[in-house]
Amino acid sequence: MLFEPKILGIACNWCTYTGADLAGTTRLQYPQNLRVVRVMCSSRINPSFIFRAFQLGADGVLVGGCHPGDCHYNTGNLYARRRLAVTKKILEFAGIEPGRFRVEWISASEGNKFAEVVTEFTKQVKNLGPQTKFKIEQQPSLEKI
Amino acid sequence: MSINFKKIEDSLKAEAKKLLEEGKVSIVLAYKKGYDDKHPMPYVARKISDVENIVFNEYCTANMARYLVRYPRGTKIAIAVKASDSRAVIQLIQEDKVKREDLIVLGIPVYGMKNFKTGKTIDSKTTCGIYNPVLYDVLLGEEVHGQPVVPPYGVLIEYEKIDKDARWAFWEKEFDRCIRCYACRKACPMCYCDPCFIDQNKPKWGEKSPESHGNLMYHLTRFHHLAGRCIDCGECSRACPVDIPLYLFHKKVAKECEEMFGQAAGMSIEDKPVLVNFRVDDSDKILE
Amino acid sequence: MKKTAIQKISDLAAELLEKGTLVAPIKEDAGFNFREISDAKQVDLNFYNTLMSPKSAFFPQTEDFVRYNKNKSVLEAQCVDMNLGPVFLFGVRPCDVKSFEIMDIHFSGTGAVDPYWKKRREATTIFGYAFDPNAPADGADFYSTLGIGAADPEGSDIFMIKKGDDLLFKAVTPKGENLLASLSSLADASKDEIKYFDETVVSGRSFKTRFTCVDTKVIAKKLEDIFHKTEFWDKVSEACLSCGVCTFVCPTCYCFDICDETLFSQGVRRRVWDACMFTDFTLEASGHNPRTKVYQRLRQKICHKYSFHIRKYGVISCVGCGRCTRNCPVNIDIFSIVDEALKE
Repeated sequence: MLFEPKILGIACNWCTYTGADLAGTTRLQYPQNLRVVRVMCSSRINPSFIFRAFQLGADGVLVGGCHPGDCHYNTGNLYARRRLAVTKKILEFAGIEPGRFRVEWISASEGNKFAEVVTEFTKQVKNLGPQTKFKIEQQPSLEKI
Repeated sequence: MSINFKKIEDSLKAEAKKLLEEGKVSIVLAYKKGYDDKHPMPYVARKISDVENIVFNEYCTANMARYLVRYPRGTKIAIAVKASDSRAVIQLIQEDKVKREDLIVLGIPVYGMKNFKTGKTIDSKTTCGIYNPVLYDVLLGEEVHGQPVVPPYGVLIEYEKIDKDARWAFWEKEFDRCIRCYACRKACPMCYCDPCFIDQNKPKWGEKSPESHGNLMYHLTRFHHLAGRCIDCGECSRACPVDIPLYLFHKKVAKECEEMFGQAAGMSIEDKPVLVNFRVDDSDKILE
Repeated sequence: MKKTAIQKISDLAAELLEKGTLVAPIKEDAGFNFREISDAKQVDLNFYNTLMSPKSAFFPQTEDFVRYNKNKSVLEAQCVDMNLGPVFLFGVRPCDVKSFEIMDIHFSGTGAVDPYWKKRREATTIFGYAFDPNAPADGADFYSTLGIGAADPEGSDIFMIKKGDDLLFKAVTPKGENLLASLSSLADASKDEIKYFDETVVSGRSFKTRFTCVDTKVIAKKLEDIFHKTEFWDKVSEACLSCGVCTFVCPTCYCFDICDETLFSQGVRRRVWDACMFTDFTLEASGHNPRTKVYQRLRQKICHKYSFHIRKYGVISCVGCGRCTRNCPVNIDIFSIVDEALKE
């Protein structure tokens, strides 16, 4: 059975999510592994979301936001850029493969880019294999009472 | 040049007495003798008669800046600080937890401090490596010159070289030993949040039991919350009853923040903490 | 009475390993700790006292009660079985042995019996280990102040005293006697050694640690009298970080929390250690917290251990092991607070 990675995508409402929508309406094909969560701005992202995602079994996390300078709220993604850069460094120092967490700036008109990024990222995570380091092991299953 | 701790102690007592007499401060944060000479305790001198209890020796490692947030805003406080403690004071001023004009900073230039748990000398492997306080109103002693300049991030080289899987194995083993006593959090001058994220139930970021995954969540998030704020005093690691080398990770994050954003924590009261700031021309390369 | 050379302790450990689970001190990075032994050679008696107390042998930091599975509309649950064979708790200092007696009050002496504690207590044979009355006490201990001798055998099943390079073993309870008789790796002790043992027990009683002896009733009353003297409590708590280390290392602290830890649909209900020093210990569902200030929490800790406990149960909730003082990040000396209170 081929490994199908579980990838969490966190997309900002105004740019990336709309871009993803555009990819859909223009019938662009991209892998189905991405589970998208919509946030209003990339700066809403608490780095703990990323850690938690890996703990809950995500093999990869992809964050998408507006291009710096074009944030719908003016400065949100400028803070997010700094914050998520630190998150990336922390994950790497802890020993998580760098290829598992990515931040991309995808605007509302870049449906193509969205599809390309997701395709490439899914391939990259697939090559890395299942993420086992942070993933919480489930309790042993109960014997039938 | 060796440090004359007795001389520093006398200057500290003299200064504390003067400040209390003149009514310039209502409390002096310093140290006193604990259950023996090698285990000094943090001390708050409020009256002139308290001043004779003040001590200063090579075991006075406690970062007194952690007590600043306990006092109501506007309290006039004199605080005895070493180099990294002065950085903590600066960082707290940057974050508006305390006002510069409410403080009289008594800087102590020193090296050769010792860990009272192990008796070993503390070097820049586990602390910031600066000898002279960055901020002070009064300098209690001579500035330290001629001592070797020790790179504060030198200890990271070995850890950055090893393979990521080996690094993960290392951290997994270390975090496994954590008993979630939260001494690290309480010893840190910058951990003043009430409630702390780990105490929250909605959402519950980490479970209460000291299992690997809860410990990992607690520590990694704490490293993140201290990014660009940790002033590398090493108190967290000294407070830890099971000797987890927290300073390694904090140093790594501090190093990355310095490289990415061009600013070290607690160096100037005019700075803004790195993660509540941005530059439009921050490079996208930091995300690679 | 039996004996063995300390060098050959791993033989005894190996024999005990065959009979059941062995929990003994081993050397770790941060200090000695009681752990379940898998390799007989790991047992190390070259310590003054362990970092964490042996209470975790009966009251582990995490104890699973119920495993459950939330499947759509059905909740399946199953109690966790405590598969416990014989357990040998090896190398417990007299002050820590006394702590088990104090903890018994809470876990089985107040009417409601904690089955987990009881089962572990019944399954365990305790090998007590005397302090060396010829060596000076550590700077943090104060057990003699509380009436505990350096070589008190009471509470242990088998008591061990060091004599030079040898370890002498004496059975204290029938459980201990049965075990001692069955151990083949021990030799018989000589008459001199028996005499040495008894003498050491006696001299251990007059071994002095720090602080002068105090009357527990006097302490209890005094602390009650100054309960509202905020000035005093503010002063003694000024250095306290309110972290929780003292509670976790203390052999007589027993507060716990019951948590349901669920991941997706599976989970476990477990008991975990809690500490009255934690900021949110008394946080109520309404959001109100009666103990928000450090002095309130420290006052609670001191008064519980040295006042309320005496009033309610007649014994002090402390054995003077000194772990709190040794491990406190700011070197607070807990009994000195009681000392200072007596002077108020």
